[in-house]
Amino acid sequence: MLSFITSCLSYAVAAGLFLCSLDTHAQGQGAEHLYRRALAATCANCHGTDGKSEGRAGIPLLSQLKEQDMLAQLLAFKSGARTGTIMPQLTKGYSDEQLQTIANVLGAK
Amino acid sequence: MEMPEMNRRNFLGKSSIALSLLMSAQPSSRAAQLRSAEIIVVGAGYGGATAAKYLRLFSDNTARVTLIEPDPSFISCPLSNLVVGGSRGLSELTMPYDGLTRNHGISLIQDVVVKVDAVKKTIVLASGKTLRYDKLVLSPGISLMMDSIEGLVQANAKGVTLQAWKAGPETIALHKQLQTMRDGGVFAITIPEQPYRCPPGPYERACQVADFFIKNKPKSKILVLDANQDVVSKGNLFKKAWADLYPGMIEYRASHNLVRVDAATKTLKFDIQQDVQADVLNVLPPMRAGALVVNAGLANSNKRWAQVHFLNFESTAAKDVHVIGDSAQNAAFMPKSAHMANQHAKVTAAAIVAELSGWEINPAPVLTNTCYSFVDANQVIHVASVHQYSAAEKTYKTVAGSGGVSASASALEANYAWDWARSMWADGLV
Repeated sequence: MLSFITSCLSYAVAAGLFLCSLDTHAQGQGAEHLYRRALAATCANCHGTDGKSEGRAGIPLLSQLKEQDMLAQLLAFKSGARTGTIMPQLTKGYSDEQLQTIANVLGAK
Repeated sequence: MEMPEMNRRNFLGKSSIALSLLMSAQPSSRAAQLRSAEIIVVGAGYGGATAAKYLRLFSDNTARVTLIEPDPSFISCPLSNLVVGGSRGLSELTMPYDGLTRNHGISLIQDVVVKVDAVKKTIVLASGKTLRYDKLVLSPGISLMMDSIEGLVQANAKGVTLQAWKAGPETIALHKQLQTMRDGGVFAITIPEQPYRCPPGPYERACQVADFFIKNKPKSKILVLDANQDVVSKGNLFKKAWADLYPGMIEYRASHNLVRVDAATKTLKFDIQQDVQADVLNVLPPMRAGALVVNAGLANSNKRWAQVHFLNFESTAAKDVHVIGDSAQNAAFMPKSAHMANQHAKVTAAAIVAELSGWEINPAPVLTNTCYSFVDANQVIHVASVHQYSAAEKTYKTVAGSGGVSASASALEANYAWDWARSMWADGLV
């Protein structure tokens, strides 16, 4: 009986640990996904919800750009390699990692 | 004693069912909390409408959201100076709210919130209904402190002065006053001390009135009477536009703090400076948070603006009440703008969804601001900034080396300004 209780206990502890890590993992993923979406949403004012711009007069449709192309443009604006009006000023306010996240979330899938 | 094999198998079988239940219980209880929460957003401007929509988007359409707004349709303050100047109509800036219900399942109630009870967590509507909330987002914009200037309430009621700062009937009325004014007349605009809604707005308005005068009444004059010590936004660009586009027409006078309006003689009286008489008077009084926020006792910064925790825009005076947009006491260099209200809305929506999901609130939110001003009907200048949250200082800080203004006014940026507006409207309303 003792060995059974011990095995039950260790099973329960293991299950608990498993549950905990699973839970933290799911939570972490859900939260991380939300943070990433919220960061990309800072672009929507000009580029539209999910990068689907309502623009007709020059602001590009981000949702048609591939992730790598978008990131290259963002980094070029940030470094000064590409000139512009607002984008060189805005990109300098984001870290490279943040720009990468934005390109990943908004880029054409 | 050995446990019979059968019992042991039963036990394991049951426990694995229990385990799988437990495994699913955690995520689904989170989802249940998010689904069952009553989330109410008050005010469907750039802040509130966007908050309602993004609460739905960020919760994958599981959060239930009610949006309460007194007006039947949305009227944009940005671009409304073009209506004052007559190059655009107010109908171009007016949009319906039904997209929020049709596309996002948001319950829209056209009513006025007359009371917030942050203890009972209820709000009372003018229609008499009481609604319970778990999370309340207040985005009522600004209220104009008309009674802070002697004679202004009466002058504005008679139409002797207009504010036209909340876009609507007064925007059209102000353009009509310009139309009926004699050529050679004087238009005077007074600007309150910062902070007020839309820092570059009054200077843009001077440009738009000048654009109308130069085309229609070229002998007329414009007086910009500013309580501040200098133009508070895009100063060099506005001054250059005034000198280049409207030479001799616009006179800027700093440090003019309005204290009294005499409606009978159309005279503006200042605390120190000389009186000014004009044909058309556009008085922008000092501003504070929307009446709802003030009356709820949430305007705890100088009795004017609502102090908030910047990670989630929750009021420092009331738990589960979030104040966004112009009503909030902003961090340094964070303007009271439509763009900023939209950005507050998204940080707040994400924070509420995270909290109701049992997740940590995003520890590093980001805000941007972009503001376009028309210097005539076709050319635009901008100011832009990025604000990253500082965990150490619990506020937003502009990033060194980022942001700035236009090199010069351009038609290209006028195109961007219209694109910005269309995307902003869609981002909050469609």
